[in-house]
Amino acid sequence: MRPASKFLFASAAIVALPLVAHSDFALTILIFSFLLGMLAVSFNLIFGFTGQLSMFHAAAFGISAYATHLSMKYWALTFWEGMLFAAALVTIISIVVGAICFRFKLKEFYFAVVTLAFSEMARLIVLNWNSVTNGSLGINLQDKPTLWIPWEGVTKVDGTLTWYYLSSVGLGLTILVCWRIVHSWMGRCFAAIRLNDELGDALGINVFRYKLAAFATGNFIAAVTGSLYSFYLGFIEPGFLSIDQSLAIVAMVLLGGRSMVAAPVVGAFVLTALPHVIHFSAEVRAIVYGSILILTILLMPQGIVGTLASRFRGQRNAA
Amino acid sequence: MGQLILGQLLNGAIIGTLYGILALGVTLTFGITGIVNFALGAFMMLGAYVAWYLADGIGMPYIFAVLGAVLVTAIGGFIADQALFRFTRNNLVNGLLVSIGLIAIMEGGALLVWTSTPKDMHYVLPGVLHIFGIVVPKMKLAVFALLLAVILATYAALTRTWIGRAAYAYAQNPEAARLMGVNTDRLQTGVVVYSTALAGFGGALYASLYSLEPTMGSLYILKAIEAAILAGIGSVLGSLFGGAILGVTEGTGSIFLPSAFRDAYGLIFLVAILLFKPAGLFAGKK
Repeated sequence: MRPASKFLFASAAIVALPLVAHSDFALTILIFSFLLGMLAVSFNLIFGFTGQLSMFHAAAFGISAYATHLSMKYWALTFWEGMLFAAALVTIISIVVGAICFRFKLKEFYFAVVTLAFSEMARLIVLNWNSVTNGSLGINLQDKPTLWIPWEGVTKVDGTLTWYYLSSVGLGLTILVCWRIVHSWMGRCFAAIRLNDELGDALGINVFRYKLAAFATGNFIAAVTGSLYSFYLGFIEPGFLSIDQSLAIVAMVLLGGRSMVAAPVVGAFVLTALPHVIHFSAEVRAIVYGSILILTILLMPQGIVGTLASRFRGQRNAA
Repeated sequence: MGQLILGQLLNGAIIGTLYGILALGVTLTFGITGIVNFALGAFMMLGAYVAWYLADGIGMPYIFAVLGAVLVTAIGGFIADQALFRFTRNNLVNGLLVSIGLIAIMEGGALLVWTSTPKDMHYVLPGVLHIFGIVVPKMKLAVFALLLAVILATYAALTRTWIGRAAYAYAQNPEAARLMGVNTDRLQTGVVVYSTALAGFGGALYASLYSLEPTMGSLYILKAIEAAILAGIGSVLGSLFGGAILGVTEGTGSIFLPSAFRDAYGLIFLVAILLFKPAGLFAGKK
């Protein structure tokens, strides 16, 4: 199947699903999976395709969640204006952070540690700026975004079904954008940087510019996700920016697979659905999560999708 | 005011040596196996809980509780090495993620066994000393001296013994070291086990001073990595100084600025050192 028909097929399945399954529970899990899937897919643009282990993704996600709410509160913006503002803010911040890291040629571990440091600083600010962010207690979000829907006019995005379609549109757009980028000349530059950035530099690729492009684009999408996710959940807290959140994103990407654009969505789905399907206490959940992470890395380095794809391909070649 | 500063300096130095002993483990593991073992913080937590359990739960003398904690963490380190880290040698990203998975497992396990209620050990060495007009608990001084002694002994062993020189040689040129008869597999396992034992030792001493929580390790390992990078990865004595600088800054900083900024100093140091002197303050000697 060609990628375009695969995409259309998957979209049709997603659109049709609520007509068949009338379970709010299942749809809620899917909404979370789609939103976290956006986060994982955009992270994979930086990690899987450009080879930079960024620990800033949760910060982009969380800063945007706070910025959206605060701009709506203080400047009386609508949700969508607030989201645009937050995304612009996060993009500017990530260009600054990325420019610092890439100008000084920080790689691998050092890049991860410095982005982690910036992300922790952001978390400390959110945690301690009590008068604005309400500290560790977080903020309950009462508002919901409004949306123009055919036949209904401008309505509040409330209720599972509307959110389901909104989040699937978000995920679809994310996958389209990332797919376009990865399969363009820019994507080839990303791959060159991932495989050997010194060689890429010698071949005339502007390593700094493309690393920054990947970092900023990924964080921009993470920012959009942050706005949507926080207003769907109706709650924001400093934990959005935590190291654990960053690591959860890494785990989703590894579990799904990092070599294909849409593969991380599978990881997001598994990690979101698993705790709901099988009821664990928080402690056991941490143990299961750690075991999944370790087993994936040691036994399935290509992730679920990658492993299945290569097995499928192998069988077809054998036959 | 002077006494307050002096007291905070001392407190900072003690916390700093705790960072330092973890930073030493980070540096050694990175130099020999090429990965950063984030789980050292979790091993410190394990050592602290084992020491607490042996001393207060069973009622062993504190010294044996510390030895027991070191033994348990060393065995844990050996299992982790053989089951996990053996497969991630020189693969930084995989090693990082495997150690993070291990943290989740160990912290989850600790929560199951010991719950999230903070645990306090009985006073091992009550009493205080008066030095230059400031009051110092004896136990804090003892912990400081012990940590310092172990770090210096490690340094001496690395520079004076055959194994130590083999480790240096391996860090500089693995191929040549192997040709000269260094058993590299055993060396790598040994370093991983030694670093976890160091972390367990630090944790066991920590248990005598502060409350224990299952998540205590993550803060310490972050600080230790900051200290190791500040000093320059690969520098053994540097990790002690890096830890001390960080601890003292945090201690004295909290006099002048709100303690909310406590965790920010290390991050600022980290960014500054990587941008302006990426090899670290004490770079040079591997």
